[in-house]
Amino acid sequence: MDILTTLRTQAEQAEVFTFEGESTLVSFEANEMKSAEVEETQGTALRCVLNGRLGFTAASGRVPVARLIENLLASAQYGDQVPIVFPAPAPGAKVVTYDPSLAGIPLAHLVEIGREIIGRILEVDAKAKVNVDIERSVGSSRLRNSAGAETDEQGSEFSVEISVERVRGDDVLIVDEAVNDISLTTAYQEAVQRLVHRIKLARRSAKLVSGRMSVLFSPAGSMVLALPLILATNGKNVQRGISPLSGKLGQKVFDAKLTLWDDPTVQGRPESSRFDDEGVPCRRNALIAGGVCESFVYDLKTAALMSTQSTGNGARGLFSAPSPSVTNLLWEHGKTPLADILAEVKHGLWVEEVLGLGQGNAISGAFSNTLGLAYVIEQGEIVGRIKDVSIAGNIYEHLREVGAMSRESYWVNGDIQMPYILLPELNVVCQDS
Amino acid sequence: MHRERSESQERILAALRSSRADYTEIRLETRSTTRIVYQGRRLETVDVILDQGGIVRSLVRSGGWGVSTFNSLDDLERRVDQAYQSARLVQAEPIALASVAFTEDEVRASLLTDYRQTPLAQKKELIASYNDILLSYGKIVDTQSAYADSFVTVTYANTEGAFIIEERPMVSVHLIATAREGNNIQRAADGLAVPAGYEQVSGHEEAAHHVAQRAVTLLAAETVVGGVYPVICDPTLAGVFVHEAFGHLSEADFVYANPEAQEMMVFGRRFGRDLLTIVDDGTLPGLRGTHRYDDEGTPMRRNALVREGILVGRLHSRETAAKMGEAVTGNARAETYRFAPLVRMTNTFIEPRQASFEELISDIKLGVYACDSMGGQTALENFSFSAGYGYMIRDGRIAEMVKDVILSGNLFTTLQNIDAIGNDLTFSKLGMCGKGQGSGLPVSTGAPHIRIQGVVMGGR
Repeated sequence: MDILTTLRTQAEQAEVFTFEGESTLVSFEANEMKSAEVEETQGTALRCVLNGRLGFTAASGRVPVARLIENLLASAQYGDQVPIVFPAPAPGAKVVTYDPSLAGIPLAHLVEIGREIIGRILEVDAKAKVNVDIERSVGSSRLRNSAGAETDEQGSEFSVEISVERVRGDDVLIVDEAVNDISLTTAYQEAVQRLVHRIKLARRSAKLVSGRMSVLFSPAGSMVLALPLILATNGKNVQRGISPLSGKLGQKVFDAKLTLWDDPTVQGRPESSRFDDEGVPCRRNALIAGGVCESFVYDLKTAALMSTQSTGNGARGLFSAPSPSVTNLLWEHGKTPLADILAEVKHGLWVEEVLGLGQGNAISGAFSNTLGLAYVIEQGEIVGRIKDVSIAGNIYEHLREVGAMSRESYWVNGDIQMPYILLPELNVVCQDS
Repeated sequence: MHRERSESQERILAALRSSRADYTEIRLETRSTTRIVYQGRRLETVDVILDQGGIVRSLVRSGGWGVSTFNSLDDLERRVDQAYQSARLVQAEPIALASVAFTEDEVRASLLTDYRQTPLAQKKELIASYNDILLSYGKIVDTQSAYADSFVTVTYANTEGAFIIEERPMVSVHLIATAREGNNIQRAADGLAVPAGYEQVSGHEEAAHHVAQRAVTLLAAETVVGGVYPVICDPTLAGVFVHEAFGHLSEADFVYANPEAQEMMVFGRRFGRDLLTIVDDGTLPGLRGTHRYDDEGTPMRRNALVREGILVGRLHSRETAAKMGEAVTGNARAETYRFAPLVRMTNTFIEPRQASFEELISDIKLGVYACDSMGGQTALENFSFSAGYGYMIRDGRIAEMVKDVILSGNLFTTLQNIDAIGNDLTFSKLGMCGKGQGSGLPVSTGAPHIRIQGVVMGGR
């Protein structure tokens, strides 16, 4: 018997979520092809509301329905008392999330791409060791609930991760890039260009004395500024009272240049979606607009607890209940070309890659990080790499006045679009000073 | 050792016999997990999750590694063929595997109090009681109090004669308290996760009080002033440091295909002063990284990495050992059936010396005592670690508490700068390693208190 039909007779509300996916991965290690892998995933997650309490369970593979239902009802016996209402049918966002041609691309083609990437990096540095993972995956999730909603979400993703290691004596350089798309695109070529640029810039070394100075963050480096905002605008942290932005809706908290979007409707992005993982239609939301705290992201449960509506940001893995999560985060770019911003920096630091992202007390806005790759800027030009250097500050102080944001931006890790950001004054500590 | 085989074991052997690859292994897992999580006053999660799946890994000498992972255990022979077909697609240098004397064995969990028999209601009461302690402090605005237990049965077999069934229990309590005054938000955490029975998770009321008190105390703490300091690391932080900053460099998959990296990690090279000895040991009873066999069926053992300051060893899988002409060490580990094994640590620690805490601290005029770990990252030679909290050291004494204590530096100079090691080796009861796989592989880290000169600390 159909699980949803069975559950309807036993609980006030019910939801059945199933996922099936298949992916193929080719891996290159130290410039050589290493392995090919096929992964199949299937699983089922159930939720119900019983006597006003929310229950959850999940299982992979084939598990007897009776066992699943038994675990669900046990969970609901203790579950959270929350006025959650599973959504009724509604039209979803208009966005393409699936490219059927991706599954048909021969593996040999993925191998060719890997070789192309490695070849282009070795042209620049013959002693580099390049690791590349190329993956194509397709998946479909199906959600049905007792309110009649029935959504089928199909997604495809082509992703390329590149990591380059360069060891010279005790001098180690590691640089990474990750790009993705719903189709096979040439975004990986841009990633290679960025890597090559970094490898070349890192060849010269430079000196720096500790102190307060201008710091220019690359999009990858500026994740250190974006991460506390992702945590602070998450409805769950707001509901728990641990977000520095709770109670600040409508207030100007940051520089007027700062606008931040959560946008699940960007075409071609794997994080885009018509419906979220609870069957709620997705939509574009401004989180911060002109420095003003505009909205938070909610799933059904945290929205119910906060007496508001879900923003269509319910996200889940196979084994966890939904919780709020941003989809594609867009940090609105500025108007100034990067070259002009750089030209204005008389003496400062360029942060290209940051170590220890999110460690420490990130939700408070505090950051203190060693830099994986950083350059010294003198008289508007990059003069070389500086090692053993760290930066520290708090975004709630430093984002009140942003020096500049570039016209240029790119996708970091596939789901966060960032420009280059200049902070006029930040504390920089170097070892040799 | 021959015993009655179950039907599912016979199916595994039949699937292995069907393989056309030069080498094939099958690992199947069933996992049942119970989780109970309070967030503040709210019982956020009570659930039981069932996970089952498997992996087939094949090696074709004229090709490479082929892998198939799956949830449905129905048609193993099809998975074996899928792995073989994938392996044939690879064009790699021929891969050899170091030889191992494989056995058939069963490793059953023996739990003093089997948590699978403990009622859900009792587990809920236990974690609720810890959560109530956290919430009894006025400035604590949020908590996360989590109980979890999992029981995993892993069946491993390969075409060279290994057939190992291992039960892997784990029971855990994690407590996080968040204190808040206006925009000042501070957090403290503690917990344990051990391969043992239910008896290990009760009786931690005092630890719960300490967590809440620390979060509240941190509200009044100043951010450490940035600079270069002598630092004393407590055993937790020192253990994480040795795992992250040094341990990963001794994993042979970092060096085996990279001549420059091999030069950097050449045996006989001095990494520290005479007092520094670093060991990885997968045989220590009761620790998180301990197993009789690794996930290639190789017996685990004790491996010295640094002895009296000199690099003497590294960690291997069968592939890296063969490639470098060194002995296998039993360090090929996989988090779940979704992952092929990688070279991973087990229980990694700094051996104790004679110094008492008083001796470590007494001649520090201005320094930092860094305690507990809130995460870290290394890019080989560069590292960044967050302590959970710390204290200034002034004139040889512990002074005021400080927050946002984050240590940065260069691995080589930092190891050389360890100039005193305490006598109080302690192993962590937490520890996850996130190398290249999912959410974390259980490991243990250990150290005594250690003193490091000239550590860079970012700060105000």
